Amino acid sequence: MDRMNLLNLHLKNFRRHKETNLTFSNKLNFIVGANGAGKTTILESIYYLCTNKNFNTRTDNEAISFGEDNFEVEGTIKELTESKIRVYYSLTENKKFYFRNKKKISRSVDIIGSFPIVTLTPTDLSITKGFPSDRRKFIDSILSQASKTYLINLLDYNRTLKQRSSLLFLLKENNSEKSNDELEAWNEKLIQGGLYLIEKRQRFINDFKTFVEDSYIEIMESKETPEVIYSFLESDGKKTNNIEKKFRDLLKIKEDEEKRRIANLVGPHKDDFIFLIDNVDLKKYGSQGQHKTFQIALRFAEFFYLKQLTGKTPIFLLDDVFGKLDSKRAQKISNYLRKVGQAFITVTDLADFSFLDINNEDTIIKVNEGVVEYA
Amino acid sequence: MKIAEPLQIAIDEFSKLPSIGKKTAQRLAIHILKKGKDEVDSFVNAVKDLKTKLRFCSRCFNLSVGELCEICKSGKRDHTLICVVEEASDVIAIEKTNEFHGVYHVLGGVLSPLSGIGPDDLKIKELIKRFENEEFKEIILAINPDTEGETTILYLSKLLKPLGVKISRIARGLPVGGDLEFADEATIGRAVIGRIEI
Ligand SMILES: [Zn+2]
Repeated sequence: MDRMNLLNLHLKNFRRHKETNLTFSNKLNFIVGANGAGKTTILESIYYLCTNKNFNTRTDNEAISFGEDNFEVEGTIKELTESKIRVYYSLTENKKFYFRNKKKISRSVDIIGSFPIVTLTPTDLSITKGFPSDRRKFIDSILSQASKTYLINLLDYNRTLKQRSSLLFLLKENNSEKSNDELEAWNEKLIQGGLYLIEKRQRFINDFKTFVEDSYIEIMESKETPEVIYSFLESDGKKTNNIEKKFRDLLKIKEDEEKRRIANLVGPHKDDFIFLIDNVDLKKYGSQGQHKTFQIALRFAEFFYLKQLTGKTPIFLLDDVFGKLDSKRAQKISNYLRKVGQAFITVTDLADFSFLDINNEDTIIKVNEGVVEYA
Repeated sequence: MKIAEPLQIAIDEFSKLPSIGKKTAQRLAIHILKKGKDEVDSFVNAVKDLKTKLRFCSRCFNLSVGELCEICKSGKRDHTLICVVEEASDVIAIEKTNEFHGVYHVLGGVLSPLSGIGPDDLKIKELIKRFENEEFKEIILAINPDTEGETTILYLSKLLKPLGVKISRIARGLPVGGDLEFADEATIGRAVIGRIEI
């Protein structure tokens, strides 16, 4: 199978890690330490290697050790051949550099998706409980890892939004009628780009649903039936036959309001995704447990979806997840992970997890104030 | 250490140029300092002549020595085929391919509200006006297919449609985010030939 493994990691001036070198198991890697010891940092740095981005949307300069002016993350990822990845951030230049086998890569579309990665962290709460923007971010990050074309179109669409709101501002300032031709051109661009995203998201949700159902049954052993519904162009999840017409009509209806508020009010940047359990709206009526189960199922669905679509087994990062699960479920998940790929799991105290069946194929790394040792 | 004022001024001016950083600017300034007077004079004159001896062609807004540029004046070009580009540098890039034998129209940019550029800031009215005096069979929109370029193409095609001329655009497939100017010549050549009607 097309396994993809992170073999080793080198951190320099990365948060509490002045200089850390690690080698990993291609199965489970348990990273053990107290809160603030620097264990999440290791996951954070792995995320940098795969995406060149920070996984909690913090800024790059926050990741630098106190008093230093740069950080460096290096790692070797093995597929059929080995790739050496290096991320270097310089505070003085406020610039980040990404290298693959010593070749500099500057466009995010050439980085994202090359080494698919899935994270399960406490912030996943926002996917089921948070704003529509949190859900769009989740969906977009899966689609962007699965398809460069999607990412290119998404960036293009975001640029269109920026340009269009700037035009709306100019229209209000100058109160000019003749610029309507110009707005029409930007409307066309918005519609072209927007329709592409809507169609892709529609197709995606159709496929992804099955993955969510499967993880519910296989991993979560839940008898409940999950459902994901895509809501776009104010459809509230209802079927829309002529999407383009709907888009154009809405733009006309909202034109005055858009001009008044200087805001893009129509398009896929307003989309939402509705999660149901046994036909009941999770966001409105779900229990804590149901939310947690759904979040985990979504991430496993993402994992298997990316695996199927990219032909690569994503690296799985699980931050502080097991502490909040009952032991039976945690055991089930860790055994499952061991079968499917390489995972990095942070826990505060391994003694609490004696039921995890940790064996000698796994690696246990203890972290204390940025210093690591193998158990 | 304080750098002598004339040198500092030269460094500052050099570093205003595109893709020249502070370090390169310093190297260039010192390099010129070491040159003989004749060499420096001819360099300075070349830079000055750019501004004094060159102007924009009154018809197509390409760079020109006289009122009309060499391409507009040429009897060997196909004056029924017109290629619309963003900048004069795109004319140079397409000319190098030797694949295009029509005439040009240089817009001087693309629509970009963020930079305050609207239709009136581009040579769009002038383009439409050309249809009164010239007879075109085909118009090619050779504009970078990025966000602003695509929108400019949409704007222009709506304006040009009623004129009853065949409109085509260069095929996508140019490197995304890459400027036409820097795309390798073979790619642009193929793109201009492989244009698609819109
Ligand atoms: Zn001319």
